[in-house]
Amino acid sequence: MFNSIQNVIVQGITGSQGQFHTKAMIEAGTNIVAGTSPSKAGSTIEEVPVYSSIKDILQDFTVDASVIFVPAAQTKGAILEAIEADIPLIICITEGVPIHDMLFIKKKLKALGENAPQLVGPNSPGVLIPGKQRFGIIPHAMGLTGNAGIVSRSGTLTYETMAGLTERGIGQKYVIGIGGDPIRGTNFIDCLSLFENDPDVTSIVMIGEIGGTDEQTAANYIKTHVTKPVYGYIAGHAAPAGVQLGHAGAILGSDSESASVKTHYLKRQGITVADSITELVALVK
Amino acid sequence: MSIPSLPFCIELGYNKHMILLEYEAKKILKDSSTPTPKGYTASVKIAPQTVELPLPVVIKSQVPTGGRGKLGGIKLASTQEEFTAYSNTISKLSIKNFTPSTLLIEEALNIDRELYLSLRIDRSSESIELLAHQNGGVEIEENAAESFFRFSLSEAPTLAQGEALAEFYDLESHSFALQEMLKNLYSCFVENDATLIEINPLILTKEGELVAGDCKMTLDDSAAFRHPEWSFEAGQAESNFVTLNSDGQVATIANGAGLAMATVDAVSASGLTPANFLDIGGGASAESVLEAFKSILEYKNVQAIVINIFAGITRCDEVAKAIITAKSQLTHLPPLFIRLAGTNYLEAKALLDAENIPLLPTLNDCLAAAKKEIAHV
Repeated sequence: MFNSIQNVIVQGITGSQGQFHTKAMIEAGTNIVAGTSPSKAGSTIEEVPVYSSIKDILQDFTVDASVIFVPAAQTKGAILEAIEADIPLIICITEGVPIHDMLFIKKKLKALGENAPQLVGPNSPGVLIPGKQRFGIIPHAMGLTGNAGIVSRSGTLTYETMAGLTERGIGQKYVIGIGGDPIRGTNFIDCLSLFENDPDVTSIVMIGEIGGTDEQTAANYIKTHVTKPVYGYIAGHAAPAGVQLGHAGAILGSDSESASVKTHYLKRQGITVADSITELVALVK
Repeated sequence: MSIPSLPFCIELGYNKHMILLEYEAKKILKDSSTPTPKGYTASVKIAPQTVELPLPVVIKSQVPTGGRGKLGGIKLASTQEEFTAYSNTISKLSIKNFTPSTLLIEEALNIDRELYLSLRIDRSSESIELLAHQNGGVEIEENAAESFFRFSLSEAPTLAQGEALAEFYDLESHSFALQEMLKNLYSCFVENDATLIEINPLILTKEGELVAGDCKMTLDDSAAFRHPEWSFEAGQAESNFVTLNSDGQVATIANGAGLAMATVDAVSASGLTPANFLDIGGGASAESVLEAFKSILEYKNVQAIVINIFAGITRCDEVAKAIITAKSQLTHLPPLFIRLAGTNYLEAKALLDAENIPLLPTLNDCLAAAKKEIAHV
């Protein structure tokens, strides 16, 4: 899913986030071949040529992945442009994408079936393969090459866990933030399957949070499909019932969506679950 | 699979969704050709004295919370005297800490049956889901999840779906009306970027008409950019700053909802009482951090502020600048225990070093230091 990626483009490369993180991605070893900006075609950012559309880029390069930094109002169009250009991996960093836009995009992806590209996000920090590639905004300097696979709904908890493991000398093969929105592309199960099937990965860290029931679905999958040790943490234990804390996806709606119920459920499926993020980092072997 | 959150969705919604008042929701319904009772609104500032509809009428307090009927927020007025008296009381009545700015006055319907009908976004099927029940009304939550009729609508509803709904309600004679209603509700939901439209009750009148008796509606605030017409009383539900315990000892500032939740969890796990949850968000600016400090100063018992930032989009130096400004501008600021990591950490450290503001390496260190400080006080 991420290992065969060579040529990467940035949609929205001329915005401040686009520029800043293009530079960082290049530093992290990613081969950014081009970027798009509707009004600044012909210029360059970090020596990367800017085009007005993906179609124009495809005249000069083959493209394996696109990282999207365009504003929320333009994100639906940007993702559709990447889908129509047959880009196999689309990573959407933008937050605040309208939920109806995501319903539309998911419908489109489902209609494409097997031929659908892999979409990570929106509202995702992206994917980091320490020492090799960075697609998005995960601070690569805090990563360490190694054998853990991290998957999280929250961007900042992804960083926190990665940095904590690095400090303990535990490196990572994959660090993936799937994004905090309720309707998103890649889910826990896609990443768990990737980790299980990659012989380099020897331990798995999964960080969930209150709201929805994706963690339970993932736990069921782990019980039946995953043989490697899984360490988990569900954020939001101190959240009072009925209060939503920040994330579009993190809504403490009903009992089954609370941190304690999820924690209990994961434990029943044989997963080692920590009560705090610092405990999680200490648990991983 | 259960549907735990269904009739309570109004309490949940999504991040930064707008909770509409009944009259605002009904106006949108009406504009989308869904029948609503005849009615008008009046400001509580000039409690209405004369009735503009034939009596009896229903006077309804417009507050953004459920259960107002049981708390006296809805009254049937059969005479002019009752109308004046009830208007005056409801105008002043506080319901779950909300007092209305507006009253909705509606014709009293001749109710034959009360049904339930809602559309919401279902996370697991990633589509719009219809939920219906034969017994609508205030006790809807008492019904077993299995007794609801539900189906996904990834496209506009078909005539067959309208017919199935009519059959479920045992209202085959109203198939055409329900097909129309479903079609209109679906376009209303999509065109208005709604996250919930709940008609409860959907009233069947003795005259045989289907009318939306009450409506709860939430709209996705992320879509505000394409809705210049949006202007609502309640405004946006703020979810980035949440008071957990106004007597708490430790205030928290973090970035990203996940890290903010984890920070609160860690404060709690260390035996201290967190006062608040605060996510300053990705790309937080110095101004927004300063605002956060001001909100925290409202808590009288806070003896320590834990700042836990792991910057991706956010830049540590921006946060550092805000901390320096806050320290110089705000008096009586409780001691700060700061952990910064990620983007532009070194720049931030240089700024804070110059002001002799110490940084701690981990969240655990911050908590240990905060604990010591609180024990000392």
